[in-house]
Amino acid sequence: MVACKTLIAGLSLSLVAGVATAADYPAKDVTLVVPWSAGGGTDTIARSLVAEAKDCFGTNINVVNKTGAIGAVGMGATSAARSDGYTIGLITFNLSTYGPLGQADLSYRDFDLIQMINQSPGAITVAANSEWETLDDLMLYSKENPGVVTVGHAGTGGAWHLSAATLASEYGASFNYVPFDGSANVRTALLGNHIAVATTGIDEMKQLLEAGEVRVLAVNALERAEAFPDIPTVGEAGYGLEAPIYDWRGLAAPKGLKPEIKGEIIARLKTCYESGNFQDLARERGLPLVYKNPAEFEAFLADLETSLAATISELGIGE
Amino acid sequence: MEAFSIFQGMATVLSDPTTLFFVVFGVIAGVFVGALPGLTATTGCALLLPFTFGHEPLHGLLMLVGVFTGGIYGGSLSAILLRTPGTPAAAATMIDGFPMSEKGEAGRAIGLATVASFTGGTVGAIVMTLLAPRLAALGLAFGPPEFFALTLFGLAMIVAVSGDSLVRGVMAAAIGMWISTIGFDPIAGSSRYTLGVRELLGGIELIPILVGLFGVAQVLARAEKLLVFPKGPEKERYLPRLADLALTRWTAVKSALIGVFVGSVPGAGCDIAAFAAYSELKRSEGANSDLGKGNPKGIVAPEAANNAATTGALIPMLSLGVPGDAVTAVLLGALTIHGFEPGPVFFASNLDLIYALFAGVIFAQVALLIVGLGLTGIFARLIRIDQRIMIPAILFLCMIGSYSVRYSLFDMYVALIFGCIGFLFEKVRIPLSPMLLGVVLGTLSEQNLRRSLIMSHGELSIFVQRPVSLALTVGAILAIVFMVLRLRRSSTAA
Repeated sequence: MVACKTLIAGLSLSLVAGVATAADYPAKDVTLVVPWSAGGGTDTIARSLVAEAKDCFGTNINVVNKTGAIGAVGMGATSAARSDGYTIGLITFNLSTYGPLGQADLSYRDFDLIQMINQSPGAITVAANSEWETLDDLMLYSKENPGVVTVGHAGTGGAWHLSAATLASEYGASFNYVPFDGSANVRTALLGNHIAVATTGIDEMKQLLEAGEVRVLAVNALERAEAFPDIPTVGEAGYGLEAPIYDWRGLAAPKGLKPEIKGEIIARLKTCYESGNFQDLARERGLPLVYKNPAEFEAFLADLETSLAATISELGIGE
Repeated sequence: MEAFSIFQGMATVLSDPTTLFFVVFGVIAGVFVGALPGLTATTGCALLLPFTFGHEPLHGLLMLVGVFTGGIYGGSLSAILLRTPGTPAAAATMIDGFPMSEKGEAGRAIGLATVASFTGGTVGAIVMTLLAPRLAALGLAFGPPEFFALTLFGLAMIVAVSGDSLVRGVMAAAIGMWISTIGFDPIAGSSRYTLGVRELLGGIELIPILVGLFGVAQVLARAEKLLVFPKGPEKERYLPRLADLALTRWTAVKSALIGVFVGSVPGAGCDIAAFAAYSELKRSEGANSDLGKGNPKGIVAPEAANNAATTGALIPMLSLGVPGDAVTAVLLGALTIHGFEPGPVFFASNLDLIYALFAGVIFAQVALLIVGLGLTGIFARLIRIDQRIMIPAILFLCMIGSYSVRYSLFDMYVALIFGCIGFLFEKVRIPLSPMLLGVVLGTLSEQNLRRSLIMSHGELSIFVQRPVSLALTVGAILAIVFMVLRLRRSSTAA
């Protein structure tokens, strides 16, 4: 029995070794593990990125949604997959907080990074009928009335909670944070006047902004967002931050890829990323695309981890 | 205006046979997916989603709507025949559906479920067409306190589905609610009862629980006594009887209205709609009815409500861009991938597509009626298959269903564990439906209670200061008191 297994393992290894040279890659379809559910924001981005993989990558890339455990199941599955170049995965912001929040023993170090896809800044938004016209109005009010202003976010310890909390703690404002399950629910609560302020991704407010239902007071970033040129940054509104927190998404493979295969994957996925269709979709949705190569991506994630750990311990959340 | 647009929409759908083909294909696929324990309308839509990319938006969307409609209906087939709800929404149908098929009237039960689903879906589609924008505005009035008050109504449902012992029912519901607290807690940002197991971080998935409690437990029970079903008469009528339809017509319409309303509240899905309608039926029938023992109305109420809820769930998705439940979340994704961004602007600027979609929903109901009645005979014959073949087959389906939710072996173990729990609970006569209800309502109820208390800085008065919340809270408390009193009176009388 054992001998039989060894034989099979040996055979399959030699088969893999046979095909796994850069010249032959990719010899078959590639699986892309998406840690969030079908139809969600991350899934949509992943699917449109690889929709025409046959042309830009060379073979089909099939999306598999492995959901649960706030993304840890899917990202864990990618990190544990065989590193033959035929399984890659989407990684998202939560990978940066599993450690600091004490949720799971998983970080960017468990992957061979491929590239960053997008980097979205947070937006501070109020309903169109709100009394606050500018970020300054809101910050002054919240200082005079500590704990009164309700701020809805998509989950404690998530990017948008931390994005607003960093701003508040830097300038001594005191908000009453109301955690919801996802930004869609935050939007509904804002429209129904159940919360006074929403902190979400800027792209998540595009529809409501165009419909005139909301007012975005500021974008929590160093530069204005390309798709929203009229909205000031927090710095321009008088409340600058040195290192605002960005949401991010990227691509990664299980650790231990052969360098030549890794090079192929990086180059081919970049072609898909740069294709007109994908860029058009991102523009339509107001999604700020940011490309970072593996080294830049790793440096970004290392910096983020340091600043998140500080913010999280200051807020006293997690375990 | 609206009435006129819907005719235009119908013309759009009818003028293109391909559109009709996609609707019918979706419904058939949905019925099969729904009937398999563990495979739900959500799974079906997620699997077919990539298939829609290459087609026109309307075709793809209507196919998914067909899967949604067919899937929610299909779940009732396995609930009636196997006592294993194919989808959570069919759990309430099982309460009366299975006893009826035990009496040898499986065909009659399926016929009733089919017509009720058709009625529910059609009433829902009409309400949706006429009221979508207004219902969406009403949905916005639901903040955390209102949601919590709504879940208090859910507690009243426990009374309705507890069977003969309220104490055991409440106990089961409490266990269910506790199970729903396992995993990452988005309010505090910390993990609860996960024991360091990564798979538990996101909580226990509903489908493996459902499949375990009903499917696997049923397999164990059948294996224990090689349960033999009374074989129905060879030439049973599969078309529903007129007398049945006449008897249940008002139940169907009332339940459909409940369904479309509950479905339109974001976060409350078809499962809660079905339980709500069953609960209302139990209230209106009184304590001495034979509900739970194979009453036709007990099948019609949840089936009409859950199919009406499918249309209700489309309302917030189309008009606000907020998914009403898990399936509409997938539909929302399909729209986004086709370049639409559902929301207030989308609704106003794509009226042609919206009304064609509404018309397609109505056609999906017609397709469901035809497909359902056509297949009733085949499905009802399943029950005559030898138990020694059926038992392993059901177990196999249960395992596939649990695995396929997120391609996870862990979920298969969860289903097996809940199978043992379900089997043992049945032995000590702890009812399983309240437990499932506890799992379904647990998260919604707990999170909104805590969210409300955060908003009010810990003041309970937030539940009575807001008009909608006040009305719901008072109504829920009255409903609970009323039902408990009634139960007590009937038990002392008996």
